[in-house]
Amino acid sequence: MMKIRNIMTKDVVTIDKNSGIMEAATQMISKSVSSLVVFDKNKPIAIISEKDIIKGIICKKTRVKDLMSKEFMIISPHTKFSEISKSLREKKIQRFPVVENEKLIGLITETDIIQATRDFTRFHQIVQEIILAIFGLATAFFLFYFSPLGASIF
Amino acid sequence: MARVKKIMLTNVPTLKKEAKIENAAKLLTQNESGCIVIIEDGKPIGIVTELDFVRNAFSKGKSLKEPISKIMTSPVTFMNPNMKLDEALKIIDTKRFRRYPVVENEKLAGLVTKKDVVNAISDNVRFHRNIQNIVLILFVLFEFFVFVIYKYFYAYLPFGV
Repeated sequence: MMKIRNIMTKDVVTIDKNSGIMEAATQMISKSVSSLVVFDKNKPIAIISEKDIIKGIICKKTRVKDLMSKEFMIISPHTKFSEISKSLREKKIQRFPVVENEKLIGLITETDIIQATRDFTRFHQIVQEIILAIFGLATAFFLFYFSPLGASIF
Repeated sequence: MARVKKIMLTNVPTLKKEAKIENAAKLLTQNESGCIVIIEDGKPIGIVTELDFVRNAFSKGKSLKEPISKIMTSPVTFMNPNMKLDEALKIIDTKRFRRYPVVENEKLAGLVTKKDVVNAISDNVRFHRNIQNIVLILFVLFEFFVFVIYKYFYAYLPFGV
């Protein structure tokens, strides 16, 4: 099965809740990520995304703490992938901070989930094709074994 | 296999290329699709996503009154509504984009995202895998049945070698 540890982004970019959104935007561009985890005194409290920054520009708000959103679900490294995938589809939660021993160790975003699903599907298609090939060969041998020609050889 | 037109979004937010960045930002925040398709005479000529706003519009100090065509990604990769999903996935695997406008007869018909294509194919594969496993099990039972008949009841078969 897919492990949370393997698909998560390990180096999470963080920002203090009192910084400005221009700083947040610069961080996003330089680290090429779509969301930052907002910290308040070494504790993750919220997430700020590209969309929140655009909202801030329109509403003329400049502080991260006025724009950050609480729409996320904290998961542990042992959470099942199907659970995350279900929350993404049904509750439209797009960001999942991974927390272990009260420490933030990673972040899973929609992009990671899509990529993992893509890779998993490809893997399954290959496995399925191998199984079919083995069965095809086994069946061919089976038929040959019981055919008159095969019977005369074996 | 399903086709692109079955999974595409049909109410795509669109703007003309003369529109201002400010209006585009407003439209983007009201929408869930996360991007705006820029059209000219019904044909998409570019696409603006949230990333384009953050990357170009705000950090480089561009004014919100400038036309949207300054920050859009152009040209865009199109999809055809009659394309099969695995063909669409082949295109998605080679490009780095997440959203693709669907064009039919030179007009914008919808928008298809990487997420929708991957999810549709994943469901499809899961469904097929289950059917395939059932067929394989039946096949094994059938082969075993034939084997038993040949092994122990060969003499009673109406044909023989």
